[in-house]
Amino acid sequence: MNLNRRQVLWAGGGTGAALLLAACGGGDETSAKSPAKANEKPRPGGTLRVGALGRASAITRDPHGSQANESDYLIISLVHDTLTVPGTKPNTVPRLAASWQASDDLKTWRFTLAKGAKFHDGTPVTAADVVWSLKRLRNTPAGASRLPGIKAENIKAEGDDTVVLVSDYANAELPQLTRLTTFVLKKDTKDADLGKAPGTGPFKLDWFRSGNARLVRNDDWYGGDVYLDAIEVKIFESPQAMANALLAGQIDVASNVGAVAARTAEKRDDIQIVRRPNDMAMPVVMRTTDGPFADAKVREALRLAVDREAMVKQVLSGYGTVANDILGTGDPAYAKDIPQRKRDLAKAKQLLKEAGFDTSKTYKLLTTEDIAGLAESATLFASQVREAGVKVEVVKQESATFWDKTWLKGDLYTTYWGTNDSVVFFASKTMVSDSGQNEAGWKDKEFDAAYRKAMATKDAAARAKVLHELQQIEYDASGYLLWGMADGIDLAGAAVRDLPTLPGYGRVQLEQAWLAR
Amino acid sequence: MAGSLTRGEPAAASGPRPVPAVLRTALYAAGVLAHRILLLAVLLAAVFAAVELLPGDAADATSERGESAADLAARRHLLGLDRPVAERFWDWMTGLPTGDLGTSARGEPVADLLAHPFPNTLLLGGLALLVTLVASVAFGCWAAARPGGPLDRGVSASATGILALPEFVVAVALVLVFALWTDWLPAVTLTDADGSPASWEMLVLPVLALAIPQIGWNTRIVRAALADEAKAPHIETAVLDGLPRHRVLTHHLLPGALPTIAAGIATSTGMLLGGAVVVETIFNYPGIGSVLAGAVADRDSPVIAGVVAVTGAVITGVLLLADLVRAWASGGRT
Repeated sequence: MNLNRRQVLWAGGGTGAALLLAACGGGDETSAKSPAKANEKPRPGGTLRVGALGRASAITRDPHGSQANESDYLIISLVHDTLTVPGTKPNTVPRLAASWQASDDLKTWRFTLAKGAKFHDGTPVTAADVVWSLKRLRNTPAGASRLPGIKAENIKAEGDDTVVLVSDYANAELPQLTRLTTFVLKKDTKDADLGKAPGTGPFKLDWFRSGNARLVRNDDWYGGDVYLDAIEVKIFESPQAMANALLAGQIDVASNVGAVAARTAEKRDDIQIVRRPNDMAMPVVMRTTDGPFADAKVREALRLAVDREAMVKQVLSGYGTVANDILGTGDPAYAKDIPQRKRDLAKAKQLLKEAGFDTSKTYKLLTTEDIAGLAESATLFASQVREAGVKVEVVKQESATFWDKTWLKGDLYTTYWGTNDSVVFFASKTMVSDSGQNEAGWKDKEFDAAYRKAMATKDAAARAKVLHELQQIEYDASGYLLWGMADGIDLAGAAVRDLPTLPGYGRVQLEQAWLAR
Repeated sequence: MAGSLTRGEPAAASGPRPVPAVLRTALYAAGVLAHRILLLAVLLAAVFAAVELLPGDAADATSERGESAADLAARRHLLGLDRPVAERFWDWMTGLPTGDLGTSARGEPVADLLAHPFPNTLLLGGLALLVTLVASVAFGCWAAARPGGPLDRGVSASATGILALPEFVVAVALVLVFALWTDWLPAVTLTDADGSPASWEMLVLPVLALAIPQIGWNTRIVRAALADEAKAPHIETAVLDGLPRHRVLTHHLLPGALPTIAAGIATSTGMLLGGAVVVETIFNYPGIGSVLAGAVADRDSPVIAGVVAVTGAVITGVLLLADLVRAWASGGRT
C-alpha cells in the first residue's frame, strides 16, 4: 500500500483522526506567537486565504471518496458536517449529532441530530439523510475500515432526528468512529452532483476549480457564530511553495507546512508559528512473533538504547515531544503516570547479553521517505543503538515497495500514524492479536483481555482504569518503540486569530477563526 | 514523352505549377505526421508498460491503510486493473480519437483533470518559447555582429554558463531575489475562479525560470549558425558590395541560418515542457506538471498517458512546423 502522509492522516478516519490536549492549552501549549491573544473580541468579516497540500492528479469531490489531498478534505469538511468532530477533552465532541446514548451492552448507539440543522438550500436535515449518507460511506471499498463493526443494514433512522447504529460487538468508543468521514449529504444525491451538493456546514461553496475553492459564510449555521465572510482554499503541491506564498503575503495560513518552514519563519516577527502537539507518530516496529527481536528483552534493550531528547531535537528540529512507547499520546486517558523511559546503555547491554542477542550481526532497519523526518529518524536511531552494541544498517525503500513488501512483515522498520488522540484506536487497529494491521505481529492474551474489557465497560472511570492496565502491558511488551511525537505546524500571518490547535485533521476546524484587521 | 511535355507546358505557363510543390509539401508533412503519430502510439504503449513494471498499482496507491485484501480486490476490479495491460491500453487508445482520455484512479475523467492545467502549461511553455526565441536571436546576432570581440566572448561565455543551470536553481534564485527579498513579484501562482493564474505578474518568474536555460542553449546555436553562414560566398559578396551590416544580417545571414535556428528552438519545446514539471512545482503553477508527478506516484496509467498524449501532440506539432520552416527555407535557396 502506497500511502503518503496525507492518506495516512486520512486513514485515521476509520476511528477518527487525531487530536489532543491542544485547545485547553491555548497560548501555553503553542508557541509564544500563538494566534490566540487574550482580551481580543472576535471581529466579523474578511476573507481568509488558506494554503493546503494536494496534488492535481488526486483531486476528488466525493466526501466519501478515497481522499489523498488535504486541500480536498479541508474544502469538504467546511461545506459538509460529520456527526461528531475531534475535540480536546473528551476527544469526541458533538457536531451534526448533538448527543448520543448507548445501550447497556454498548452495541446499540442512538445519535440525536442537532436542532435547526439544515442544508445550504434551506431544507432541514433528517435522520433519513444521515442514514443514506452513512450507508453510502459504509458501501465504499474502504467502508469496512471507516465504520468497523457496523454493517450497512444496521444503520437505521428512528423518527426524524435519531439515527441508530448497531455494532457487531460491544464498543464503548463507537462515537469516535463518526468523527472524520461521516459527511452528511441529502438523501439520494447523485454521484454526478457531488461537487455542488448542498452541505450543512459553516461555509457554502461559492466556486471550485482544479483543487482551489472559495467558500462563503453560512449565516444559518446551527453550530454558532462564524466570523469570516469567506475562506479561499489554495492547493499547493509542495510545502516549500506554500511557505513561500505565506512569506510573500499571498496567503494568510499555510496549513500543515512542517518544521522546515517553521525554522525559516522563526526569524520573521510578522509570521505566527502554530504548533499542534501530538500530530504524528513515527514509531520503530520490532517484530515480536519471530526473528531477532522476538525476545521481549531485546526490544526492551533497544527502547533503553535510544536517546529520545536527541531524536526530537535533531529529527524534528525541536518541534515535538518525547514519548514513552505508548501510542495514542493525545488521548485524555493516556497514562501520563507510567515512568518515562530514559536512555540506559548499561542496562541495555545487560539485557542483550541475557537474551543471547547476536551482536556480531548487522540488522536492517527498513524505512521510506514518505514523510519528512522519517528516514532521518531511522539513521539517527541506528547510530544511537550502535552505542549499545547493536549494528543497524538503514535501508531506504521506495514507498510502494515498502507498503507492499515490508509493512506488517519486516523484522525492523519505521511506520507512521496521524491519529494520535486515542489509545483505543491503536489497540484495536494494530495491537490486538487479530487486528488487521498488527504491524509487529504482536499476540498478547493479557492485552487482548484488557482491550475487550475496556470496550465492554460502560462506566467511564472504570474504563479509564482498564485502559491504564492496557497501556502498562503495551509499555512493557509491545513491538513498538515510540521515541517521540512530531508537532503539526501551521504558519499564519499576523492578523489571523483562533486557528485550531488540534493535531491531525482537527486543523480543518476553521469556523472559529477570524481576522484582526 | 512528347505528349506529356506539350501537356505540361501550358500548365507551367498558366500558374498551376506551384500546386505540385504545395502537394509535395503536404505529402511530406503527412508522411512526417504519420511517422510521428506512430511514434507517439509506441511511446504511450511504453508508458502503460512502464507503469505496469513499477511496484504496486493504482488500487494500492489510492487505498487507505486498513482496507482488507477483499476491499483491494474490489477496487482493483472497479479500476479494471484485473484485466491484462494490453487490453487496458487498447481500450484507452481506442477512446483517444474521440477525445476520451479515460478515468483516473480516483474516478475523475482524465480530460477534466487536464482541462484547466493543460492550457495553463501551454501558456507558460508558449511564452517561455517566445522569450527564448526573441532573446536568443537578439543575443546571437549581437554576439555575431563583431565576431571574436569582447561582446561576442562575453555573450558566448555567459550562454554556456547559463545553459548548464538546471531550471530549479534558476527558479529558486528568482523567487529569493524577486519575491522574498525585493517583493517586486509574486512568489507563487494562485489560481482564479476560472482556473487560470490570477494575474499576469504571476507568470513572469515561471516564464523566466523556464526560458533562461533555454536562452543559453539557443544563443549558442544562433551564434554558431550565423558564424557558419558568414563563411558562405554570397555573404562575402554582400559585404564586398558594401551593404550595411544590419542589412546583411537581416537579408542574408539570418535567412540562411534559419533552418538551424528553427531546429534548435523546436528541440527546446520538449525541454521546456519537461522543465515545466519542475518549475510548476516550485511556483505552484496550475499546470500539468503537478498532475503528472502525482499520477506517477498513484500509478495512474490513464492520467500519465493522457499527459503524454497531449504534450506529445504539441511537441509533434512544433517539430512538424520546424521541419516545414526548414524545408521552406532551404527550398527557397536552391
